[in-house]
Amino acid sequence: MFRRFLRPISPSARREERIFYLFILPWVIGLVVFNAGPVLGMLGLSFTDWRISLDNLSFIGLENYAKLFDDPVFWVSVGNTLYIVVGRVVFGTAFALLLAILLNQKVPGIPFFRAVYYLPTVTAGVAVALVWIWIFNPRLGILNYFLKQIGIQGPPWIYSSTWVKPSLILMSLFQVGPNMIILLAGLQGVPKELYESAEIDGAGNWAKFRNVTLPMLSPVLFFVIIISVVGSFQNFTEIRVMTQGGPGESSNVLIWYLWENSFVFLQLGVAAAVAWIMFVILMALTGLQFRLGRRWVFYEV
Amino acid sequence: MDKQQLSRRAFLKLAAASSSGIALAGVGPLRNIAAAQDTVELTFGRHWEAAFRPRQAEYDEGFMERHPDIKISITYNTWTDHNNVVPAWAAAGTLPDIVYVHGSRATPWAHEGIIIDIHDLAVADDEFNVDGMWEESLRLYRVNGRIHALPYDHGPIILGYNADMFDAAGLDYPDENWTMEDMASAAAALTDANMGVYGWDGNFSLGNSANGFFLGAWGATNMNDDETAMTMDTPEAREALSHWYNLIHEEGVAPTAAEAEAFPNQNVFRAGAAAMGHLATWDTPSMRAQASFNWDVAPAPMGADGTRATTSFGSGYGITPTSDKPDAAWRYLREYLSVDGMIFMWSLSGRGSPARPEGLEAWLTSDPAPPNGQYFLEAMFEYATTGHPYSSLASAQVSQILDRESNLLKLGEASVDQVIATIMEEGNAALDAVADDM
Repeated sequence: MFRRFLRPISPSARREERIFYLFILPWVIGLVVFNAGPVLGMLGLSFTDWRISLDNLSFIGLENYAKLFDDPVFWVSVGNTLYIVVGRVVFGTAFALLLAILLNQKVPGIPFFRAVYYLPTVTAGVAVALVWIWIFNPRLGILNYFLKQIGIQGPPWIYSSTWVKPSLILMSLFQVGPNMIILLAGLQGVPKELYESAEIDGAGNWAKFRNVTLPMLSPVLFFVIIISVVGSFQNFTEIRVMTQGGPGESSNVLIWYLWENSFVFLQLGVAAAVAWIMFVILMALTGLQFRLGRRWVFYEV
Repeated sequence: MDKQQLSRRAFLKLAAASSSGIALAGVGPLRNIAAAQDTVELTFGRHWEAAFRPRQAEYDEGFMERHPDIKISITYNTWTDHNNVVPAWAAAGTLPDIVYVHGSRATPWAHEGIIIDIHDLAVADDEFNVDGMWEESLRLYRVNGRIHALPYDHGPIILGYNADMFDAAGLDYPDENWTMEDMASAAAALTDANMGVYGWDGNFSLGNSANGFFLGAWGATNMNDDETAMTMDTPEAREALSHWYNLIHEEGVAPTAAEAEAFPNQNVFRAGAAAMGHLATWDTPSMRAQASFNWDVAPAPMGADGTRATTSFGSGYGITPTSDKPDAAWRYLREYLSVDGMIFMWSLSGRGSPARPEGLEAWLTSDPAPPNGQYFLEAMFEYATTGHPYSSLASAQVSQILDRESNLLKLGEASVDQVIATIMEEGNAALDAVADDM
């Protein structure tokens, strides 16, 4: 009945439309079967006493969620997660931007440096974590060796409740390769005329960066921040290999808490509830960022 | 293309040749074909390290020769992943027929239906003689009085020492008269901070495989026998924890957990940088392979009042509910875990002390067994008890709490009082949460 209100579609446009749907179909099927389906399935299972077998499941309402909210370790893991996410996103984005600006300069050897800074990203996460275990070693680690050379007694890094989270944030700075590439592409897309105009107006480097680069780069920065927040929530490998949530509970983040409930404590219903809480937090944070983005993200018309 | 046709004469020749071929071959191949059709494939989920897999392969080849109707197929997990992989298999409905079961997992896995009740199979099989296994080892696999898995090894924790360091310092080796104070005095005498050498390795643990060594001499325990309550808030437990805490943080005769990270696998004793550390029978192959010094073992030191105590622990195998050939699985386990099977697999190889006393003498003659290996046997016979937790559904949670707090104590990030208070509060909460499910 709505067809008559729509513009008539030519046969070629209709054919193009069919091809479009055909091409996106594999992705849509993948999304439904491997993402949306399990996500919805998890929601249902989070209201059950699921442990291992799916037989004889009992509906227990919000009991798993109540159990979580009563567990002090859950709140510790929420706090740890937010600490690490904020640290990784703020420092990681700033560092990626700094690198992108440096690697956008016209000096010899730039392709080499781009490759070097991207290298940790293409290395297996477990291998990177194992290398960082040695870098952070309080006695033999290269980090404390360098600090000692300048007269500083290095901290115990990941073997200290105080230092473990800053250590993980520091480590994440060496994995900013993808964000750096995205920001570099954004920088190269800023029209040169804008800089020339700014220079004519007497703008210095800082003024050009603040008034030209940042506004023009803001949509790219916004994208980088969104994916960094999501990625930081899902950061499991380092915790599994390097800290196992410790010392104490000081690096117990939500994804580790979820894993422990699933595969160590065999409380899969509780783990499903944690997964959904993570999902809700991520959606809320993303929504908040879109709302705040209206104030600082500049889209060219 | 020419079409080739089979003439009547050629056909008859071929038919005759085929018939005589079958007749000459006799019934053997036909029987083999029949046997192949009846062969069942037994699947396993194991975790052996690469060095021990040839021994397993040798055993399995022998088994398949004795039982041509059974074919063995193994999936090896890493030690750190096995306990997580098996529940994932169970949730996915892809469990193998037989799985390795660490002693701490038998109760939760039985409760979750990952392993089946094999009590009747084990008890009814006179030749298998389940009563010939250590009671301390079987204890791990009894759930509500029913056997759900069977042990292959079981060993106690006793004192290991670096004989070269004792010789260099002119000290007598630890012996059966040693007390914990003797150990502390020797540790102080053997420590050389400038050389980065420690008297004790600082590998303190309240977990199920070692707590008896660190608490028992003071008459303390981490939890009660029926695993319904933590028992760490006693003067004895406080005294024991203070003793070990002081050795690390006050007297400096052992490295902190952070300092121990500088050594491979955090094993300061095996690396030759500590004169003493606790050892289990399953540690001796790595000691033999990696320790570049002379080492031996002594009984767990006594407390001031002469109390000697330690923990024993072990691992086993269970049959899964998804196995559609439990009879074949039992045929495998009854041979594998027989006296002969244990002697071949664990005693002669020295991989671990077998769960049957009859296999222990052979273990003593193995290459990895230390000169005074009889002290392990003495501990099993006289004073070792199975370490808690293992029989509660909250074992994993309580173990995690005990490990975490042990680590904080070793790091010096928590005081003795804080550790005890946390263990009591969180441990009891975890036990209370499962009280109704037990």
